[in-house]
Amino acid sequence: MSEPTHPPKRKRLSRRDFLIMLGVGAAGLYVGVKLGTPILRLRLAEYLEEAGGPPSDIEAPPDAWFEILPDNTVRLYLPKSEMGQGVHTGLAQIAAEELEIDLDQIEVRHASTDRLADPVATSASTTISGLYVPLLEAAATLRELLRGEAARQLNVPAEDLQLEKGVFSLKADPAQKRTYQELIQFSAGWELPKTPPALKPPSQYRVIGQPAQRLDLPAKVTGQAVYGFDVRVPGMLYGAVARPKTIEGKLKSAKPGQAASQPGVVKVVTDGDFAGVVASSRDQAYRALGKMEIEWDAGRLWQQSEIDAMVTVGQGQGVVIQQVGQLKPAIESGRIVEAAYRTPMAFHAYMEPLAAVADVRADKVEVWASTQAPKGLRGKIAKALDRKDEEVIVHPVYLGGGFGRKIDERAALEAARLSQAAGKPVQVAMNRKEDFLTSFVRPPTHNILRASLSASGEILAFDHQAASGEVAFAFLPGPVGGIMGADFGSYRGAITHYNIPNIQTTAWLAKLPVSTGWWRGLGLMANTFAIESFMDELAEAAGLDPLEFRLRHLPDSEKGQRMRSALQTAADKAGWGDSLPNGHALGLALGYDVGTVMVEIAEVSVENDRIRVHKVTAAADPGLAINPDGVRAQTEGGITMGLSASLIEAVTIKDGALQATNFHEYPLLSNANAPDIEVVVLNSRTTPSGMGEPPIGPIPAAVANAVYAVTGQRLRSLPLKFG
Amino acid sequence: MQLQINGKPYEIEAEPDRLLLWVLRDELGLTGTKFGCGIGVCGSCTVHLDGNPIRSCSTMLSAAAGKAVRTIEGLAEVDANGETVLHPVQQAFLEEQVPQCSWCMSGQMMTAAALLDQNPNPSPDEIRQAMDGVYCRCGTYHRIRKAVDRAANLAQHAGGQAE
Repeated sequence: MSEPTHPPKRKRLSRRDFLIMLGVGAAGLYVGVKLGTPILRLRLAEYLEEAGGPPSDIEAPPDAWFEILPDNTVRLYLPKSEMGQGVHTGLAQIAAEELEIDLDQIEVRHASTDRLADPVATSASTTISGLYVPLLEAAATLRELLRGEAARQLNVPAEDLQLEKGVFSLKADPAQKRTYQELIQFSAGWELPKTPPALKPPSQYRVIGQPAQRLDLPAKVTGQAVYGFDVRVPGMLYGAVARPKTIEGKLKSAKPGQAASQPGVVKVVTDGDFAGVVASSRDQAYRALGKMEIEWDAGRLWQQSEIDAMVTVGQGQGVVIQQVGQLKPAIESGRIVEAAYRTPMAFHAYMEPLAAVADVRADKVEVWASTQAPKGLRGKIAKALDRKDEEVIVHPVYLGGGFGRKIDERAALEAARLSQAAGKPVQVAMNRKEDFLTSFVRPPTHNILRASLSASGEILAFDHQAASGEVAFAFLPGPVGGIMGADFGSYRGAITHYNIPNIQTTAWLAKLPVSTGWWRGLGLMANTFAIESFMDELAEAAGLDPLEFRLRHLPDSEKGQRMRSALQTAADKAGWGDSLPNGHALGLALGYDVGTVMVEIAEVSVENDRIRVHKVTAAADPGLAINPDGVRAQTEGGITMGLSASLIEAVTIKDGALQATNFHEYPLLSNANAPDIEVVVLNSRTTPSGMGEPPIGPIPAAVANAVYAVTGQRLRSLPLKFG
Repeated sequence: MQLQINGKPYEIEAEPDRLLLWVLRDELGLTGTKFGCGIGVCGSCTVHLDGNPIRSCSTMLSAAAGKAVRTIEGLAEVDANGETVLHPVQQAFLEEQVPQCSWCMSGQMMTAAALLDQNPNPSPDEIRQAMDGVYCRCGTYHRIRKAVDRAANLAQHAGGQAE
């Protein structure tokens, strides 16, 4: 064995020694702004974690940090939240690929905001697609830096080196070797390549494309993983906050009443529109809250019929978002078919309610939260407490589901207010009723579709009008929405991808008294339900098989080819056209979202007006599947959540209040009613697209189409019900 | 109050009407047991009480007094070498890559472990029915059923080896 060229440092390197930092910036990816070309920004610096922040010569905050640990494993800090979608594993696979290490040599951590502050929330199925190239480039650059150092330390040309599992060795004499860790420990300095190194061709991938065991699961199956609800800080107290029953409810007056003298109470807080209690235990906090004297102004007592009337095509603001050819006169030139569809409001209903811990101190503020948007949360906390952003550190932890709601900063803000008042760390962890009644909900929708068919069954013209409550606009400052015109969240999935000579798609938007917003897929599910139900209605009017009808209307493009392949794959797998048990039928639907093609086929029977979904077969084409098992899991999960939405879920408003306070009033699909799901994963490209949301799009229409095939009844509202 | 949790005796100073879930989580730091609904509907808080799956969110501490409580933290065993040996249910949930967000999973696994204790060789329909009471919002039901079946096989295989 050769000796290192520098004597080993006497001090054993601790795991906290930060050795190499590479900054990767994906181009500014604010919500709704088109994803730009990823830009690689590289800086190299020695940095000790104790210093409390990134080196000052970093031009822009990086989006990923690598650490090489003493055992030659790599720790990757990411600003993206792991909420079950498996992104930490997918991103680790991407990094491991170009770092030439195995997946068991890498671990992933959530990055606190003092380390990394990504302006982009973990949302919109963009994590893998947005970070794919930047992470590959960063990993490859790090690898090439290490190669140069290995050549120096071993005193050979770089071409004479081979690399395996994070160890460089001489091709001619493999006993002469250096681990990544040794190279860093004894480095004399680093020279950055002028340009990012060439990336591997996908045909040479070893890690990407292989089914990977999720890195977060060992801690999760043993109950060790820490979520927002689980964070424990020394001296932590428990908070409870007064909340209105109605959607427009405002605090009129709040007096401590008997709360302050209740057992365990540390502080009773009344501050403008806010009232809460801090106590030694959760029970004590909630009990004492009940002893406060609080008066509410209920606001207007809205009824569901008023909400529905507002979300109606023709009401509010309408913007044409897709124009192909001319709707008129083509729409009048053939046989006209028209149908209208509705979907209701719904909750996210993740299993972990909103929860956060805040520790507000004189020098800094620390917040631990299940959040999809750590940087956004940092800014909100800083603003609320009148502190600088740099004084606030948000520590993201595992999320017990997010589905769009966990950008909600409410629990963390409340914990911060209570912590500031009590001078101690405080947890606010909502019960289910609080989580539901403080929620923004999936907006109600109304879609009207109209098309004309030629005598031979071609669609001549296609008119789609999609009305919805706000999604993205609910979170943007007013003028931004005015400039953008239509709410891209609401109209997600409303664009027609079929090859039709004349298409017009119009988005209608309503601002509702109830808060609406992000929900897995945004408008995708409602719009795909309408379009794909309508395609079956058109197929029937044309006297054609639904599969054949769709195939005839696919565009002659790469996207059309991918759709064709996915349709045929799913149809073959599901046995489309084969005989089925008596009383069973198949229904299919095609979806396209964030570059991913999804086809879902549901096998359904109906007994005593009860819809039973026996099996779902899916073909998923995310371009390049980083973790094929992860793609399958997301497909299964999206289908199951979408089935729950298709068959069961709705929340309404009565007398100004959301009418569900817990799962007994808002049941979810349960195991016994959940079908087996078979997923075929297709790879059609060399880059990945998103998987978090696309699978939820097609399932309601697939089920509705199958219900029609069984019963002859066309159900056009979710949840799908007879009568 | 005397409690036995995961094989260890605990002396707990808490009101007898405190709910077991919050005592486990907030007093004893056993946060592997999760809150989901507080009304015994969703099953995230499932633990074993004398081997039976119960909803710790709606079980008073007094009902657990003198009984054996088992939580997810006590499902795996530690062998003579100090190595953690996963319970067949945990092993199967890993092998089938069941969890996504995993908030419900301790409730799922405790329910599955109790099922296999009482019925080591459940039919597909028995698995479906036994697992019906625990919600999973990420939609892993299909994998849960496969994993429970796999766990039954793992447990029987391990039992066979022991003999």
